[in-house]
Amino acid sequence: MSESIVILMIGISTLLGAIGLIALIWAVKTGQFDDQNKFTDAVRHDNEEDLKDAVMMHEKKKAYKEKMKQERLEKEKNYRPAD
Amino acid sequence: MSDVACTHCNLTFSEEIMITEKENDKTLSFCCKGCQGVYHLLNAEGLDTFYDKLGDTTLHPAVPQSDDLEKFDLEGFKNKYIHINEDGLYEINLIIEGIHCSACVWLNEKVLHRTDGVIETSINYSTNKAKVIWDPSVVKLSHIIETIRSIGYNAYPYDPKLQEERAIKTRKTYYTRILVAVFGSMNIMWLAVAHYAGYFSGIQQSFKDILNVAEFILATPVLFYSGWIFFKGAYYGYKNNIVNMDTLVASGALSAYIYSIYAMITQRGEVYFDSVVMIITFVLVGKYLEVLSKKHAVDTLDGLMGSTPTEVTTLKEGVKSLVSIENIILNDVIELKPGEKVVIDGEVTWGEGSFDESSLTGENEPIYKKQHDTILSGSICLDSVIHYKATKDASNSMLSSIVNLLEDSLTKKPRLEQLANTISGYFSTIILIIALLTFIGWYFWVDSFEQALIVGISVIVIACPCALGLATPMATLVGISMAAKRGILFKEAALLETMAKSDILALDKTGTITEGKPSVVKADIKENFDPSMLYALVNTSNHPISKGIMAYLDANYENIEKLTLDNIKSIEAKGIHARYKDKSLIGGNAKLLQASNISVNAKTENTLFFFAIEDQLIATFELTDTIRKGAKEAIKNIQGLGVKVVMLTGDHEQSANKVASQVGIREVHAKLLPQDKAAVINRFHEEGHVVVMAGDGINDTVALASSDIAIAMGNGSDVAISVSDVVLLDEKPISIYESYKLSKRTYTAVKENLGFSLLYNVVAVPLAVLGFVTPLVAALSMSLSSLVVVGNSLRIKRLKFKNKE
Repeated sequence: MSESIVILMIGISTLLGAIGLIALIWAVKTGQFDDQNKFTDAVRHDNEEDLKDAVMMHEKKKAYKEKMKQERLEKEKNYRPAD
Repeated sequence: MSDVACTHCNLTFSEEIMITEKENDKTLSFCCKGCQGVYHLLNAEGLDTFYDKLGDTTLHPAVPQSDDLEKFDLEGFKNKYIHINEDGLYEINLIIEGIHCSACVWLNEKVLHRTDGVIETSINYSTNKAKVIWDPSVVKLSHIIETIRSIGYNAYPYDPKLQEERAIKTRKTYYTRILVAVFGSMNIMWLAVAHYAGYFSGIQQSFKDILNVAEFILATPVLFYSGWIFFKGAYYGYKNNIVNMDTLVASGALSAYIYSIYAMITQRGEVYFDSVVMIITFVLVGKYLEVLSKKHAVDTLDGLMGSTPTEVTTLKEGVKSLVSIENIILNDVIELKPGEKVVIDGEVTWGEGSFDESSLTGENEPIYKKQHDTILSGSICLDSVIHYKATKDASNSMLSSIVNLLEDSLTKKPRLEQLANTISGYFSTIILIIALLTFIGWYFWVDSFEQALIVGISVIVIACPCALGLATPMATLVGISMAAKRGILFKEAALLETMAKSDILALDKTGTITEGKPSVVKADIKENFDPSMLYALVNTSNHPISKGIMAYLDANYENIEKLTLDNIKSIEAKGIHARYKDKSLIGGNAKLLQASNISVNAKTENTLFFFAIEDQLIATFELTDTIRKGAKEAIKNIQGLGVKVVMLTGDHEQSANKVASQVGIREVHAKLLPQDKAAVINRFHEEGHVVVMAGDGINDTVALASSDIAIAMGNGSDVAISVSDVVLLDEKPISIYESYKLSKRTYTAVKENLGFSLLYNVVAVPLAVLGFVTPLVAALSMSLSSLVVVGNSLRIKRLKFKNKE
């Protein structure tokens, strides 16, 4: 067994582990582990309806953004330089 | 007569008091109008699958909530609790009350999602805290709160900036650091297996180098990222001239790390990267558990906040208006309604009524105030409408000045830190000195800088890492987790050590030794007594005495009917008049009954409550603030541990002495103002005692903050809990004894651990000093010594609290 194989094995396995570690840290930082009971409890009520709900909330958010954009355009349209 | 369960809340009641209705051949029963309303609302909304999800869980009956919705749309409220995010959306953090299970969370989220204008909601399943984001141009906050209330829950805001945000942030950084440390140590461990195998069966230098470099790469982030807090702690210690635990961990790990790099580069000797990461990981996990218990305390705290009003009603030339408390100026006339909390000090100009000042004085007896009497912020108006003139503005009022006083005393609390760290600091200093002497000795003896350095570092490496490093944290860790299981929350592990050294326990009377609410001790009942009538009568009042009578009736009589009374009139500080059908009912103190020409015998040291129907005395109740169960036993046990117990109270001497003699306390300090209590504690300090103080009210907080260890009762005022080091969730006095015993046991274990590691060091260090330490000896002795320390610490778990008789 040559040295380069050992280096390769240690290097690749550590790298794979490190990728897992980084993913885990990312999950912690974005607050995915803030609520430990959600994993076990929320999944029991998970169904198609909740998916629809999520879509609805997304639509609402989009509608709001759209509205804000319209308002901004409106403002810009009505803007007349003082003359 | 059979019992049936309410269709909404699942609580069972007797059949005849239920509201029943028919729906498609099914009989629905409801315990109250509130539950009925919620049921129909959910059905109409198509959310009735909630009941399938609920299963057998019981809920609180949906009691209609008070009408204070307008306060949520006020400017002062908005400034305090609402956060505006970059999209122009409003954001608020709420605590939702009444959540029992995950179905409740589901229902709340569902209903909020369906509300127009609500953009985002997330409810935490563990803490029942919710974050709601909404579009202010579509929906108002009051409507959102109303929606939550309409389905039988209640929501009130809290300010996450105060405590929670900080607690979550520390928790997250700790968690990330631990992840890195665990990752590093696990990987180094399997590399070390190859290392040790090579040590016994022979290994080519080239392979050894590869392993060394790999371990080096893995250990570096663990030492400098995960171990950063130890370097920081050691630096602060250095600045304050204290050698602490952190100094030892940091210097040990760092010197082992430097030694290993040296061994790696020169290709001589063995590397110790594995012990570098092990010590960091172990001690870090211990610190993390401390942070977790702190987070728990914060969660219980937030639930108590959010009750202080941000606005008061002012009267200007007959016009009522709501004004934010910051804008109140002297001589503004403020109107108080029953049940409202006073936020600004003042003087009564119109009306009279009783005030509950228990949060200020600790005494539960309401105080009667009439024109020209002063009222203090923090007290609660109990029974009538009062107008008063502001004599101070918001920032100078009693409540704010106590809070300021507290902040001052909190910043002056370095004593504790020093006490907790003395032992481990002592050892760290000795080891560091020995290592330095060894280095100097070898340098002059052998005249080789290189060899002197290696031997010097090997002294620290073999002495420090595991055994001594783990001696204190491991024992205190087992100690606090044991305490937490018994409902005793220590906010810091090091406090166990301080508590074990304490020789004086100061106890507050009301709320700590006693229950803090009056209960019936003697009832003298004549014939024709109908408990339902008295129940209905006392139910109309919020007075602590009425509540005591209610609790007594609940416990002693069954089948109390709900009666409706007419002409209810409460006479301030005296009692209640009412009519039931054609009978007149009177309930109150001796003065009230004498006013109706009923002769009563009023000679007792307890508080009396009389009940008369048609001017005929029917029943007499004696009430007193009862001593908590087990208080006497707890105090006797604590005195048995060699701790002097003293009582500090704001109450007058007579009642203080009565309670003291009942529980066996010899030293009593009565009639103390909040500042006086702190002064007594400080006097004990000057005499050289270590003082533990237990209390519950705002009146105790200054004293709590100046004591070495502050113990708060779980239902105490929020300020009291936040300044405390230990919180007793179950409020039993015996818990104080248990925490004493546990801390003493833990302290013994710490001493044993330190003694053992001292013994280990006495053997190992001279060997290292003489340069005999081989890698095999070092590795074996290090892991063995730490195993002994861990095993000894786990023995704390076998501590028994009950005396075997």
